[in-house]
Parts: sequence; C-alpha cells; structure tokens
Amino acid sequence: MKGRQWRLVGAKYGAITGANFQNQLAYVGDTLSRAVVVWLFMFIFVQLWGWAYETRGTAEMAGLSFGATIWYFLWAEVMEMGKMRPDQRISEEVKDGSIAYTLVRPYNYLAYHFFYGLGDSLMRMGLIFLFGSPLVLYYVGLPPFNLVYLLPWLLIVAQALLLNFFFLSIIGLMAFIIEDTNSLHLIYQKLVFILGGLLIPVDFLPGVLQTIARNLPFSLTTYAPARLFVAFNWTDWVQLGGRQLIWLVVVGLVLWWQYRWAAERLAINGG
Amino acid sequence: MARLREEIRFIGTLLGINLSSAMAYRASFLTQVVGMFINNGIYLLFWLIFFEQFGTVRGYEGADILLLFAVVAVSYGIGLTLAGNISFNLSYLIAQGRLDYYLVLPRALLPHIIFSRLQASAMGDLIFGSVLFLFTGLWHPVDLLLFVVVTMLAASLFVSFGIIVGSLAFFMGNAQNVSAQAFNATLTFALYPNTLFSGGTRLILYTLLPAAFVGAVPVAVIQERDGLLLLGLAGAALVFMGLATIIFYRGLRRYESGSAINLNV
Repeated sequence: MKGRQWRLVGAKYGAITGANFQNQLAYVGDTLSRAVVVWLFMFIFVQLWGWAYETRGTAEMAGLSFGATIWYFLWAEVMEMGKMRPDQRISEEVKDGSIAYTLVRPYNYLAYHFFYGLGDSLMRMGLIFLFGSPLVLYYVGLPPFNLVYLLPWLLIVAQALLLNFFFLSIIGLMAFIIEDTNSLHLIYQKLVFILGGLLIPVDFLPGVLQTIARNLPFSLTTYAPARLFVAFNWTDWVQLGGRQLIWLVVVGLVLWWQYRWAAERLAINGG
Repeated sequence: MARLREEIRFIGTLLGINLSSAMAYRASFLTQVVGMFINNGIYLLFWLIFFEQFGTVRGYEGADILLLFAVVAVSYGIGLTLAGNISFNLSYLIAQGRLDYYLVLPRALLPHIIFSRLQASAMGDLIFGSVLFLFTGLWHPVDLLLFVVVTMLAASLFVSFGIIVGSLAFFMGNAQNVSAQAFNATLTFALYPNTLFSGGTRLILYTLLPAAFVGAVPVAVIQERDGLLLLGLAGAALVFMGLATIIFYRGLRRYESGSAINLNV
C-alpha cells in the first residue's frame, strides 16, 4: 500500500474510534455511574491489603510497598473495567443476523470492532482512573510512577488491550457454535481475576500457581500494565512486552483462522 | 384466606412455568449454571490463597469464609431463582412502561411481577452454596436447620432490597445502572469479612446496603447458635419487606404507562 492509501485507511478507522468516543461523551453520566464502582473496590482493597501488610509486618512484599500495591489495583481495575467488549457486539450480531450487513461494509470486520471498541474503552479507562485516583491518593499518596517511562509503558497497555480484544473476539465468534457466550466471558474474566492478577498480584501467588500464572497469557492483559505502572524497570518491560508479542501472534492466528471459518460457515438467506 | 391460598397457588404455577421455560434452552441453562459455579469457585479460590498467605483476616479464618460463601450463595440463589424480576430488571420494566401488562391482570401486583422471572445463573449459586455447606463440617441437625432458616431470611432480604433499588426507577426514570450497582455492592460487601470494616462503613452495611444481614449476621447465628440474633435477623427481614412494599406502591403512584406493545408469552 502506498502512503496515501495508508493515510486513508488510518483516517477511516480513526473516524470510527472518534465517532464512538463522541457517542460515549453523550452518555458520560452512565459511564460515570459505572466508575463509582471503582470506589467500592478500591475501598475494600485498601482495608484488605492494609491488613495483609500489617500482618506480615513488612514495608514491602515482592518489591511492592502498600501504596504501590493499591495503585497496582487501581490500574488493574482500569484495565478490567475499561476493556473492550467485542464479544457482546459480535455475538449479538451473530444471533440477530446483522453480521450479514456488517460483513459486506468496506472495512475489515475485526478491525472495525477493534477501533469501534477503542473509542468506548479509552473513555471508560480515562474516567475510571480519574474517578478512582482521588480515593487512592487520599489513602496512600502519589503513585510511584516516573513520567519518563510513559511511552514504553503505554506500549504495554496498548498490547494488553489488543490481547484482550483477541481473546474476547474469539469468545464472541463462538456464538456460531453455542447460543450464549456470556458464560464463556464469565469464565475468561475469572481466569483474569486470579491468574491475571486482578484480585491478587501474580507476585503474591503461592509457588506453583505463580508459575502457572506467569506462563499463561492472562497476566499479560492486566498484571503486566499494572505492575509496570508501579514498578517500571527495563528488564520486566522487555520480558513482559516480548511475551505479549508472542501471545499476540499465537492468539491472533487462532482468531484469524476462526474468523475465516465463521465467515465461510455464514449462510445468508433472503434480503 | 382463600385469596391468599389462591395467590400462593398462582405463584407456584408461575415458578413452574419459569423453570420449564429456562429448561427449554437446556444448553444455555447448563452453561449459565456451570459458569456461575466456576465464577463463585474462583472467588473462593482467591480467599483460600489469601488465608494460606496471610493467615486470618481480623478473626476470620478459612472455615468462616466457607460458611460465609455458602450462606450468601444459597440466599442469593434462592432469592433470584424464585424472584428474578428485581433490581435492574424491575427498573427496566418500570422505565419502559412495561408494568401495564401486570396492571391489567387480577393478581397481587408486586408478587406477580417479581416471581415472573427466574435467573438461571442463580441456580448455579444455589447449587454451589449447598455443596460448599457440606464442606463446612456443620452436620448437626440444629446447624442444618439454622442454615435453612437464615438463608431463607437472607433470601427475603436480597429480594426486598432488590425491590427497593429497582423501585428507584419510579422516582429517577432510568435507574438500571444505579440499582444494579447498589445490588452488586451489597453482594460484594456481603462476601468480605465484616470485621474488615468499622465505623461509618459498618453502619452502612447494616442500613443503606444490608450486606451484613445477608452475610455476617446469618453466619454468626449459625456459629453461635444465637436465638436473639436470629430474632434480630427476622426483624430486619420484616422491616426490609415492609419498606420494599411501601416504596414500591408509593412509587407506583408516579408510574406513567408506556405506549409500547408488549408480548408476554
């Protein structure tokens, strides 16, 4: 593709993201009311992990101070609550048949869902972080994050979002086989809760479970960006970012194969 | 009395129909039940890991958490399996003007609405909690009886609270998010040891969000075999039931019929 074509493609998908971002601005009250939930979770985390640090009698666990752990949880919540939900939209389209219309439009079906979801996701992530930060600031002070690392850290966040998108799109396309994909999402979400580091940082998991969590991709969607937010170092960045890339290729190939299989299987009758 | 018997028979019929329609889509029904089972199992796993790593949580031990999860899961399961049209579902019906369907029928309105839906995933909670109770080691008939009684009371508290937050739609219009969040917040707080919270937060857990009444209090009733506490729990269940009825019917005066055509099969 030539430069001009790339620009046109970029403008097309950028417009999709921008349009949905504006859509979400129209429902900012709704998004804000969801963000309130983050206060509840952060409040509970402060109480629970405050007790854990008190019990251990140490200032740090696995290199994380109490303050760093609470900021870790805020960013983990931002990743979880702000993630794209292509599974919902894709499975709805499969069930009500509107996939027949979206497939023939002049864009890549999966890319459309990614950029559409991105608008919504960025808005939610921003609001949840803005909303949760004052509470965390009140309890533990400023986050241990150096702005110098902002760009490399954002790359990890972007890769985490994309990996989540791949997983959830696979779940959405499962609607071709099973009627209700919600339970699959529920199971995936709970794997992220434990093995992904949402409820407990992977570093705090006991021996075998920690090894399992580190070798599975779930921690790369939540733990990786949250950990690097509170304890950035180049060794972890290379290691976590590299593993993200490997899993992006593996899961991306599975998604692509599944998408092609589903597109071939799709039977459109009538108009 | 005859009217009451008739209403109870009607509710029984509704529950039978709800169950049959849920079972009609067997694969979907099973995935929802199994999904919820795994969902609860993961939360429990978190606590088991936490206790293994850090010992107790302000007096709560692993066994206490097992009982807490069993009580909350069974209560929630009973409540939402029987009366699934509460919380955000009720808000949705009110905001969309879909109460018209129920208003024109010669049945007690509130029971007819709430018992008209079964949440299949709640059956997963019910089964999960029941299985978990077997692992608590509380096999004495008195413990079993207390477990049944407190979970019934806690289930009624869940339902009453679901009606209260669902009825917010009468006053606020679109209240689906608010009611879902208040209901989920109660459930979330109920699943944590209440010893973690103190002062104002604890007061909220006994009043605005009745989390303590569906979690910590029933657990204490079973563990301490405390009759007085049981009476207190029954009192709280009655108060919330009364509040739910008053708020719903007060709100109903503000209800505006929708022009939507609904087809209830």
